[in-house]
Amino acid sequence: MNENFKISPSEINKIKPLNQKDKNFRLENLKLFNQQGFPSRNQEDWKFSDINQIFSKNFKNLESFKNESKPKSINFIKEFDHNNILIVNGKLENSEFKFEDKNKIKIKSFNDSNFSINNQENSLINLNNALSNNGLFLEVADNYRFEKAIIIYNVFTDDLKDNLLNNKNKIILGKNSELHIVEYNINQSKNKFIYNTTENVILNENASLKTINLQANQNEGFFYKFSKGKMGSNSNYSSFLFSSGPKFNKIDAEFDLEGENCDCNIKSALFINKDKHQEIKTKINHLVPNCKSYQKIKSVVDAEGKGVYQGKIYVKDIAQKTNAYQLSKALLLSENSEFNSKPELEIYADDVKCSHGSTSGSVDENSIHYLMTRGLSKKQAVQLLVSGFLNEIIGDIKSNSVRKFIENKIEVQLHGY
Amino acid sequence: MLVIKNLKASINNREILKGLNLKINPGEVHAIMGPNGSGKSTLANVLSGKNGYKISGEVKYLGENLNDIPVEERAQKGIFLAFQYPLEIPGVNTNNFLKTSLNTIKKANGEKEIDTIAFLKMVKEKAKELGIDEKILSRQLNVGFSGGEKKKNEILQMKILDPNLIILDETDSGLDIDALKIISDGVNSSRSEKKSFLVITHYQRLLEYIKPDHVHVLSDGKIIKSGTSELALELEKKGYKKLN
Repeated sequence: MNENFKISPSEINKIKPLNQKDKNFRLENLKLFNQQGFPSRNQEDWKFSDINQIFSKNFKNLESFKNESKPKSINFIKEFDHNNILIVNGKLENSEFKFEDKNKIKIKSFNDSNFSINNQENSLINLNNALSNNGLFLEVADNYRFEKAIIIYNVFTDDLKDNLLNNKNKIILGKNSELHIVEYNINQSKNKFIYNTTENVILNENASLKTINLQANQNEGFFYKFSKGKMGSNSNYSSFLFSSGPKFNKIDAEFDLEGENCDCNIKSALFINKDKHQEIKTKINHLVPNCKSYQKIKSVVDAEGKGVYQGKIYVKDIAQKTNAYQLSKALLLSENSEFNSKPELEIYADDVKCSHGSTSGSVDENSIHYLMTRGLSKKQAVQLLVSGFLNEIIGDIKSNSVRKFIENKIEVQLHGY
Repeated sequence: MLVIKNLKASINNREILKGLNLKINPGEVHAIMGPNGSGKSTLANVLSGKNGYKISGEVKYLGENLNDIPVEERAQKGIFLAFQYPLEIPGVNTNNFLKTSLNTIKKANGEKEIDTIAFLKMVKEKAKELGIDEKILSRQLNVGFSGGEKKKNEILQMKILDPNLIILDETDSGLDIDALKIISDGVNSSRSEKKSFLVITHYQRLLEYIKPDHVHVLSDGKIIKSGTSELALELEKKGYKKLN
């Protein structure tokens, strides 16, 4: 590892308040990180995204923290009514729940080591445990169903440069509760920085959480998010990832299906251009019978872009009647584009329905020709085919206003092609 | 409208068109008949500008040499090919596609683009004439359409784009009699002094509905016989083999 990336234990003293127990925990994790360094391709989980090499290439040194700073004006979404949460460089600034019963919602800034995810093998999680000083804690009371969606404005200020930000989030949905979140990332920095998040999602019995992750713009950020979910019986999780835009982005989601009849959905439409690098890695653990999981990942890779999908479905011996589905489709627009897919099934039960598929290829020449015979230029034809390819995912968003908003955002991103 | 002289086309070093001559005047309907493998679809592909063919000979459209003109410009200049197998384009809304196509062509010709309201009104009328269920127009282009719906959609595109030279590549294949009649009516109502049609077909059946001025027999990459619609009837009785 680049020596510049060793982090001094004295950095931890900058985090306040800090009790001795907390400090020891952080020091322990920092030690683990300093021993291992950033993950590299030698580790199976990172073999298509050698983040050590990527960081070495892009950063000379890293600042562990960032002083408070104010964002420039933000274009808040006007297309549909929503509640909002504003997070600046990882710090919860304010929240407004205009449409809700506020007694049913607990929200606070979150930096509690007690909720840490322990993972000896993932040094980014160690790093997060050692240095995280910000984050969001959100809890929805039992039986409370949100009237409107929450938009989390995740803003990165223009003075970020060579910063390493570590964040922890925790979202808890009580029994029979329901929440829709749009995580809207607005990056005002033109410079490189790292945003390392660990997230804990807990869905109690019969709770329903829908999330959409969207980037407002192209940017130079390097993002890693480890998301650990626990799903109770009859709970429902649905996640849409439209996270095109950052220079690097890896979403690492691990969900434990712990209660019967729960339903876990992950859908993604990515457009990866220039020399951008995106990975979606999932691990869905079917631990009890009668659960469903569904994953559909569609990626368009252009120029020197690189896309990765690693998806694993684990079915425990007692998890009979599991229904698990996984599909990755990639469209490569250039000879230099790359897509790697590694689907895995690990099944110990004998009465299950599991299927997976993975395809990648270039745009169909006959389809291009067909569209060109109707007057479209080759570029227009390819753009239309690409947006059609991704629309299949976007079309699954049920709310008309949200879907239209996302469609427009993606259209703008594709226009840059 | 269209003058083809000694057109040769080969693909993967295999010659398919071996010196084809054809002249179509404005307002005329020409039918090209021929057995499987005679080069009918290749002719349609070559006229549309499809990549991958090695071409020699002369193709002039409205006095302009076509060989160097790219696919989309041919369409913008008024050449339309109704596909034998229209492609399914997932995720692309049929109406949006039709509007994009029409406005691209209008723009290329220096015309004013049509707005959404006027466009939808026009599409609605034309779809009705062709007995197309409006609902399919808000679906993905050709995805899950029946054979008949796909072919009707091609004719709808023809009606919307209003081209000068229309090539119908086996538009009758896979159609039942009712659909065949509707499509033929659609074509016949578009006939005018300014428009020319090249109807490519296996069977005489279509020509009972779309009456051609001239019928040509294509065999082994060449037109071996030309005549009036009588020729089509003769072919139907005797088959292609007798002509060779």
